Amino acid sequence: MSTLIASVGFGLVTASILALAAVGFTLQFGISNLLNLAYGDTMTAAAFAAYLANRAGADLWLMLLTGGAFGAVVSLALNRFVYTPFRRRKTSLFGMVIVSLSVAVIVQNLLLAGFGPSFFTYQIGQSRTLRAGSLALTVNQLLIIALAVAAMLALHLLLTRTRLGKAMRATSTNPSLALGCGINTPRVVGMAWLLSGFLCGVAGVVLVANTTAFQSTTGNDFLVLVVAAAMLGGVGKPYGAMLGALVLGLVTEIAAGIIAPGLKEGFAFALLVLVLLVRPQGLFGDATSRAVAA
Amino acid sequence: MSAAAVFYLTTLLVYVGVDILAVWSLNLQWGIAGIPNLAWILFQSAGAYTAAVLTLGPSSGNGGFQSYIIGARLPFPLPVLAGGLVAGALAALVGLVVLRRLRGDYQAVVLLVITVTATLLVENFPRFLNGPAGLALIPQPLSSRFASSIGYAWFYVALTAAVCAVVYFLVVRRITGSPLGRALRATRDCDFAAAALGKNIVGLRLFVFVVGGVIAGISGALLVEFITAWSPGGWMYVESLVVFTAIIVGGTGNDFGVMAGALLVPVLFNEITRYIPTFGSPYLVDALQWVVIGGLALLFMWFRPRGLFPERRRTMALGGPGTTVAGPGQAGVEAGRAGASQGSGAGTSTAAGGAGSGL
Repeated sequence: MSTLIASVGFGLVTASILALAAVGFTLQFGISNLLNLAYGDTMTAAAFAAYLANRAGADLWLMLLTGGAFGAVVSLALNRFVYTPFRRRKTSLFGMVIVSLSVAVIVQNLLLAGFGPSFFTYQIGQSRTLRAGSLALTVNQLLIIALAVAAMLALHLLLTRTRLGKAMRATSTNPSLALGCGINTPRVVGMAWLLSGFLCGVAGVVLVANTTAFQSTTGNDFLVLVVAAAMLGGVGKPYGAMLGALVLGLVTEIAAGIIAPGLKEGFAFALLVLVLLVRPQGLFGDATSRAVAA
Repeated sequence: MSAAAVFYLTTLLVYVGVDILAVWSLNLQWGIAGIPNLAWILFQSAGAYTAAVLTLGPSSGNGGFQSYIIGARLPFPLPVLAGGLVAGALAALVGLVVLRRLRGDYQAVVLLVITVTATLLVENFPRFLNGPAGLALIPQPLSSRFASSIGYAWFYVALTAAVCAVVYFLVVRRITGSPLGRALRATRDCDFAAAALGKNIVGLRLFVFVVGGVIAGISGALLVEFITAWSPGGWMYVESLVVFTAIIVGGTGNDFGVMAGALLVPVLFNEITRYIPTFGSPYLVDALQWVVIGGLALLFMWFRPRGLFPERRRTMALGGPGTTVAGPGQAGVEAGRAGASQGSGAGTSTAAGGAGSGL
């Protein structure tokens, strides 16, 4: 029982990191209809940017800001200079998957070439461990959970209460109709990539802050879990991604605590495949996003 | 030629043959039928592992330093054939999950998830296929019949070439150059138009997915019997990108184009790096090689998306109106393909556009 409670604690931390990443990933898909497989490597790049800031003396907050800003700029640049031009050349949906996979491989190996294959660690100091029964989390882990909850709330308010958020939802639902209604869709798409890139960068930094050591493949290793969380909730649905992240975070850590640590992602992926067999559009997806297969 | 040069040449030729089988396999699935099989490398590995455990004998052999399932010692052609069969069965299983209800780019991502999961399973169950260390010391088939290792290497080159020829004439050409191939291209270019013409698109996709899986498995089995080792580090999912790049460079959907792609991308790039004098750290050349592979895919998708040797456009012979029943539909699909390659997911407009310009 105590293992279970401890696992739930870790599960909430993993779910928080996953939620930050998966919501950013799903925003990009929703607004651009593009599965950006370079997302994980953008996370790593942001983590390295924060690492350099850390070496220059930045604390955790400044590192989060650095990572987020770097992720935002990289994502915006990727969309502006790679993905949008390819789209204009009428590259097919799956062609875009190959484009983003190529970008992912390039970014990851440039990081490998620049930083080498060794592991890196942030110098952020050991934080105090708080205990409640068998639930034990460090202050930094609680901070991560609080950060994720705050980010999700802020995103909810942005999407429902602001003109920009409403414009994003409109663009995501029907880009040409949104354009026809006078929404400056290219600008909205750019803002969405900035926002999702920021989430991506922040997720990269908290991922590394939580796992202590990282290298050039860390983000990419995490990406499959991010994609799984986004797909579980229905790709393009921010609330679905939050739910998917919560489910997968808990499943991975409980499986790791109770069954076998090496297989935690295996359980998450098996769950994803099962859900997709029953609901191909994901938990929150609607019928229109379904396959056209006969 | 010195013995070392001959040995290098023969090894290279075996790789050429295996890579050609690889691109044919993926070209059937992706180039002809449009299935984005990002898990391709998984099926090659399934064939390789099957052939390995059926050649190695009991896992107590070699001092029992590696553990794996089954552990038989079957006579030569059987492990390779079994490799093809197991990969085909795996493809049928995966295909039933992926190909029935998911949209194209979702298929790609679920296949990606499946290949990553498979790597995790193999790495975390060392008793299954010896975990991250992989299998080694796999005996080369029939090698005891040859006096010299050079003679054996030439034999293996001939064997690989023979397998390529059999696969090409018995399978690849019979699919790509037949009404079946036309139906597959139709499902690729505009799936609901094909469905409207009465084609069972899920059945067609499943069929070609399994056939491609069998060829992938045979390619893996042939390779593992020659290089005598196989481990998870060699089949990370990015390896599939190399085969995709070869197809994009060669000419998606063109049997001979993709052969050229196989020569240019996996073979040439692997060999060129051998001749680059080592500079910087040992990982640098490897990292830059991946950067170049990714860059090559991007460059070709940008400047020559149809590849060096584009697929021949299949046009209908002009025979006046109403010559054949299939005519207008086929032309519609062909024109729809121009629309579909313009990639919008909005199928109805492409279908309508295709039918319109086809008439």
